[in-house]
Amino acid sequence: MTAALALDNVEMVFGGLRAVGGVSFEVPEKSIFGLIGPNGAGKTTVFNCVTGVYAPTRGAVTFHGKRIDGLPAWHIADLGVARTFQNIRLFGTMSVLENVLVASHRTSRANLFDVVFRTRKHADDELAMRKRAMELLEIFNLGDEAAERASSLPYGDQRRLEIARALMLSPRVLLLDEPAAGMNSAEAQVLKRQIHELRDRFDLTVVLVEHNMQVVMNVCELVHVMDRGETIAHGTPQEVQNHPKVLEAYLGKGGEEPACVTASASEREKPAETLLSVKGLEVAYGGIRAVKGIDLEVRRGELVALIGANGAGKTTTLKAIARALPIKAGEVVFEGKKINDTPPHALVSMGMALSPEGRAIFPNLTVRENLEMGAFTVRDPAAIARGFEQAVSLFPRLGERMTQLGGTLSGGEQQMLAIARALMSQPKLLLLDEPSLGIAPVLVDQIFEAIGRIRAQGMTILLVEQNTRRALAAAQRAYVLVTGEIVLSGDAAELAVDPRVQGAYLGEAVH
Amino acid sequence: MLRKVVIIASVLAALAGLQFVAGQALDPYVIRVLSVCGINVMLAVALNLVNGTTGQFSIGHAGFMAVGAYAGAFTSVALSHHLSDAYGPVILIVSALASVLAAGLTGVAVGVPSLRLRGDYLAIVTLGFGEIIRITIESTAAVGGSQGFPLGAESIPAYASLGWIWAAAFLGVLAVWNLTHSSYGRALAAIREDEIAAEAAGVPTTRYKVLAFAVSAMLAGLAGCMFAHDATGGQHIDPGAFRLDKSVDMLVMIIFGGLGSITGAIVGGIFVAVSLELLRSVQQYRLIVYAALLIGMMLWRPQGLLGSRELTLKGLLRLVPGRKTERGT
Repeated sequence: MTAALALDNVEMVFGGLRAVGGVSFEVPEKSIFGLIGPNGAGKTTVFNCVTGVYAPTRGAVTFHGKRIDGLPAWHIADLGVARTFQNIRLFGTMSVLENVLVASHRTSRANLFDVVFRTRKHADDELAMRKRAMELLEIFNLGDEAAERASSLPYGDQRRLEIARALMLSPRVLLLDEPAAGMNSAEAQVLKRQIHELRDRFDLTVVLVEHNMQVVMNVCELVHVMDRGETIAHGTPQEVQNHPKVLEAYLGKGGEEPACVTASASEREKPAETLLSVKGLEVAYGGIRAVKGIDLEVRRGELVALIGANGAGKTTTLKAIARALPIKAGEVVFEGKKINDTPPHALVSMGMALSPEGRAIFPNLTVRENLEMGAFTVRDPAAIARGFEQAVSLFPRLGERMTQLGGTLSGGEQQMLAIARALMSQPKLLLLDEPSLGIAPVLVDQIFEAIGRIRAQGMTILLVEQNTRRALAAAQRAYVLVTGEIVLSGDAAELAVDPRVQGAYLGEAVH
Repeated sequence: MLRKVVIIASVLAALAGLQFVAGQALDPYVIRVLSVCGINVMLAVALNLVNGTTGQFSIGHAGFMAVGAYAGAFTSVALSHHLSDAYGPVILIVSALASVLAAGLTGVAVGVPSLRLRGDYLAIVTLGFGEIIRITIESTAAVGGSQGFPLGAESIPAYASLGWIWAAAFLGVLAVWNLTHSSYGRALAAIREDEIAAEAAGVPTTRYKVLAFAVSAMLAGLAGCMFAHDATGGQHIDPGAFRLDKSVDMLVMIIFGGLGSITGAIVGGIFVAVSLELLRSVQQYRLIVYAALLIGMMLWRPQGLLGSRELTLKGLLRLVPGRKTERGT
């Protein structure tokens, strides 16, 4: 049996970053194949290499025996590889029906002449396309919404519409990028059933990238696990679920830094006043509720971790607290003052600083200028000078690179800069979003060691981190988020040994 | 099919009637304004195909208009040496075809290299090309250089009377309308909405952008041809008429009417022609009034008069009070 899709040593390098480093796998025809891995593993990049959004730097992609790497995306789609997108890419202002019809354009037999002169061929063709598009919409219960604007659909329907549009290409392979993202568990159940039905009905091979482990473990026949661009496991869902490397990739290695652990142990008893309190916080993206009413609090001097699998709503929570996202319901109180309507820049003067996910350093400013921007609200030159001293003592590397442009730093150095920049505003509360994301392990050690020192100086920190073991080792208390809700909370040391935490990440196979 | 032929024929017949009435009863000034309206409609609908429907940003369309005007005028002047005025309509049609062809080819030539760019980069490149076209004409002695065309005592035959201009506008707009309301138009709109998703749906985006650009250039070229032959115009063209401000004028038309709406572009084209006339009374302040109007527009109705919607007879009837609407909105 030939493989529907085969990747041979596919490598994708962006600038200096190796997003995918030599990945090989074969997807058997008519199978349902899962591609999983933690954030930044390179899953979507693999999809983009297969579908022609990128031409892989090295390696071969073969579709039913034909090399397709390097072909333009529309050509690959034409050959029969259809896909959906992680962050839904519909044609927003067009109608639901038109969205599906776009994908039939290539099969249309009417040429420009037929169209401009409205020949019979154009009319017949249009009729046939519309009929087929309506059939597909009916499958996904979208028939009644055919005339609606695509952007007005609720989130789950938008996901389904993307699948309908992909199917309009009459593909042989369907790539689904996080089809269950943002769906509630009932919707995810329906999706699981639908993926099976689609495979049988349309004779498809389905490849999915998915973070909802319940879905992956139930639906997929084979699973390929990636981490940091490399393959770490391959096999049936049961095989990979208990694979030690998979557990390590998802939960992280244990923190070996005793400094962090002792800090949490010794100061656990000390009661302190509440610096930040969040009550009933809800955040929504369009129709989808990403955070569904959570409560949390951070006391002065504490390091509190917010952990959970990808897409759980950790970063969303942090961004809402920093007022970078609108709050739908609930309240956020900082130093006794309700900040629901405080603009983000005012929060910085109030003493809240965010080191954002993905660093967001200013690439065309030097390291020094980046730090100076962090001190934008500080008027006292002596304080700024102290800030620089602190930054350099925390991260000596930054001292060596003061005149270098931010964009030329390595990922780890950029992360150091982002933390140092946040500290320049002399905050009372530091919000740290995913400081270990996409960073080499040796630098992660240094960063966590620095976080321990920052905390030892009395800083209050709310840490969002996907490396659970490290986060729990560094923190005193932690909250575990699953699909926008806090399912567990308490003492970090106790959570570190709680088997339910692992369950929250990897789901449970129901085979 | 027959029905369509009948509709098209009757519209053209109506325009012939207008032509007759215009000759008999209308004030020459009104005819002049109506002619400019017709030319503006073509320009606005042409630019809207690229900037509105396909979502690319061109500010060099005066260049295509210039190519059309010169190609058409060159053809008709050459032909009128051999043919009498009785052949006027034939000469005009042949010239119009020459204009469309020349502008279309220029559109492809400009589109292929520049449509790989996006947003402001594309705008700057099209602006550059528009200027290159104008300066090339200005320095080409064979077409009169900066003196304009034709040289000496000769003049461009004034064949494009009101009826002809509006017939050209009608046919040009109809072609663009049909193109837009087809699988091609959906592919173009998909490019505007999300290029990556359009590619994933099998749309060769670069090819379609060039197609939209070429068709748009063709219609702008046709407008240029009518402009050159406009019976109410000066029977003379010079490169100064195709400066950047002409491109900006076109942009104003479609932004006023609503990007992405063909009927909006028509309204916008007519608006620009008429408002310039109405504001003539305030003399040198008219540009200020004009600018203030646009700023107000950007503040209170940035999507333009019609947004991306089309004006339909049904839609108009819905506005009549007391009438039952078919669907609550």
